[in-house]
Amino acid sequence: MSGRALLAVAAMVVVGWSAPVNAEMQCRASRELLDIGNPLDIARTAVADDRELRIVAMGSSSTQGYGASNPQYAYPAQLKMKLEAAMPGVTIHVFNKGIGGQDADEMTARMKTDVKPEHAQIVIWQAGTNSAIRRTPLDKFADKLRAGIDIGHSLGANFVMMNLQYVPAVVALPDEEEYARVMSEVAKEKHAGLFNRFAIMRSWYNDGMPYAQFVTNDGLHLNDFGQKCIGKLLSMAIIDTIAPKHLTGAPNTPH
Amino acid sequence: MEAAAPPYLAPGRDLRLDFFRGLALWFIFLDHIPNNIVSWFTVRNYGFSDATEIFVFISGYTAVIAYSRMMLREGWLRAASRIYRRVWQLYVAHILLFVAFTAQIAYVSISRNTPELIEEMQLLGLGENPYRAILEAALLKYRPVNLDVLPLYIVLLAGFPLALPGLLRWPYRVLGVSLATYAATLHFDWNLPGYPDDKVWFFNPMGWQVVFYSGAVLAVVAPDLAWLDRWRRTLTVLAALYLAFAAFIALSWQYNSLERLIPDWFARQIYPIDKTNLDVLRFVHFLALAWMVRLVVRPNARFLKWTILEPIRRCGEHSLQIFCLGTFLAVTAQIIVARYEDSIVSQLSVSIAGIVLMCLAAYAASWFKAGPPARGFVE
Repeated sequence: MSGRALLAVAAMVVVGWSAPVNAEMQCRASRELLDIGNPLDIARTAVADDRELRIVAMGSSSTQGYGASNPQYAYPAQLKMKLEAAMPGVTIHVFNKGIGGQDADEMTARMKTDVKPEHAQIVIWQAGTNSAIRRTPLDKFADKLRAGIDIGHSLGANFVMMNLQYVPAVVALPDEEEYARVMSEVAKEKHAGLFNRFAIMRSWYNDGMPYAQFVTNDGLHLNDFGQKCIGKLLSMAIIDTIAPKHLTGAPNTPH
Repeated sequence: MEAAAPPYLAPGRDLRLDFFRGLALWFIFLDHIPNNIVSWFTVRNYGFSDATEIFVFISGYTAVIAYSRMMLREGWLRAASRIYRRVWQLYVAHILLFVAFTAQIAYVSISRNTPELIEEMQLLGLGENPYRAILEAALLKYRPVNLDVLPLYIVLLAGFPLALPGLLRWPYRVLGVSLATYAATLHFDWNLPGYPDDKVWFFNPMGWQVVFYSGAVLAVVAPDLAWLDRWRRTLTVLAALYLAFAAFIALSWQYNSLERLIPDWFARQIYPIDKTNLDVLRFVHFLALAWMVRLVVRPNARFLKWTILEPIRRCGEHSLQIFCLGTFLAVTAQIIVARYEDSIVSQLSVSIAGIVLMCLAAYAASWFKAGPPARGFVE
């Protein structure tokens, strides 16, 4: 190796040692953004009485884990790990029902067959992105969400709606915020919780986190960091709702 | 411009193939270590396409070189059976890699008593339904993390004997069929089934074949490419502009200030830049890159023979072994970085150590090959 190359490597090593961990590269979200807005009472009862929590993760490619280097990094698997760590003694099941490319109507169509056999207390329903990309009419989108939530409610589950991801391919759409708004409205109307992924990820971006940190270079899917961070924040949001700190000893402040 | 004989008949080895394939193998290793600072050196940070395109393109090019002469001399059947022997080698290598990969994760988690590692690195499906997962792995439908490239190569090479006679006779028609298949795949969203049941192939063979056959066709028609040089300046300007545009977009993923300069209507045209089906932006980016390389790096370029670059060429010469080793070592590196210390120093060390090991293995492979042929096993 030539002297100059050696010098370059030495310089990188020194820089590497002295560089602080950038604050804007950390996984975080404000408390307000993590408020689900629903007590998730069925889940709370299951945890308190049966020491068991059964969750179905319904969704498309984000749920399936496309873009993560390992399916275990997808948010449903991360959610399971984080909940188990936070609630020792509670048996956690997370059933991943993500199918890439699906729109709200396709997921509503399989809501019953995918949720019923798992006896879920929580259905996490990740939706909106494919609907926005395909320009599904907003009223049809809303109707499908309502129908899907009704099915899940009839099967005895609480809902946490997870809205669109904040990534270049979605932000470029003309009306992506309309789809996020419709999801919030339907969630409120149908007494479902909302995990505001869009606003959380937008706050990362606005705090200076570059897309490369949390998006794969297709500009659409979450990478390992994005998936793990969503899993972590979602678990914090759920724990704060159903098992406050004094019961579990779990940290409830985002960091 | 080029020598009169087409590359598949030309004597000697085109060192560019070994060099760029070796480089692609290094890049694939570096890019497979998540959040690796050293991957800043790799091509994917400066445009849409990455090392996968380079690897698949050169595989198509070398497939023609390796088997066309055999077909002309010894007939199609002989060439086809040799291709299938190679497909078998690739398959065996893939299965071996699958086992070694899984065993490594199992070993680390058992010996360090860290069951969460197995969970963390869990090969989805293997824990839940091992018998089914092993069956699906044997059928190439179940391909855990980073084990996607070899199955793609296996499928592409398995179809190659059918294309080979046509390639030599009507290369442009084969290219036309390849492009049409690619276009139809994008339009109808075709893919092969994967496991678990709702998964598809991460590298869609029906899309990615266009890169393979671009390489294959080029190996046949390279001497005729002089007609392209009539538009040499125009093509070069277009390629340079496109590469600059791609570099700007790629850098915008790193710098929000650049990202804010891209208007929404424009971003809507380019995103998402799909990897599974080989987005057109990626394919064109690779072609622009290949055009520039053709201009800048002649087959007899002097730097290709530099001793300091010999390790890269050696890795390229033994691409199958080095690819497998690199995939295996990328997981080792990932475990080391995640378990011990995630710092720039550790990323740098595992990257360098991995590349040194890959080079040593490549030299060992050359050494084995150079030994006297064993009696009765001449191949």
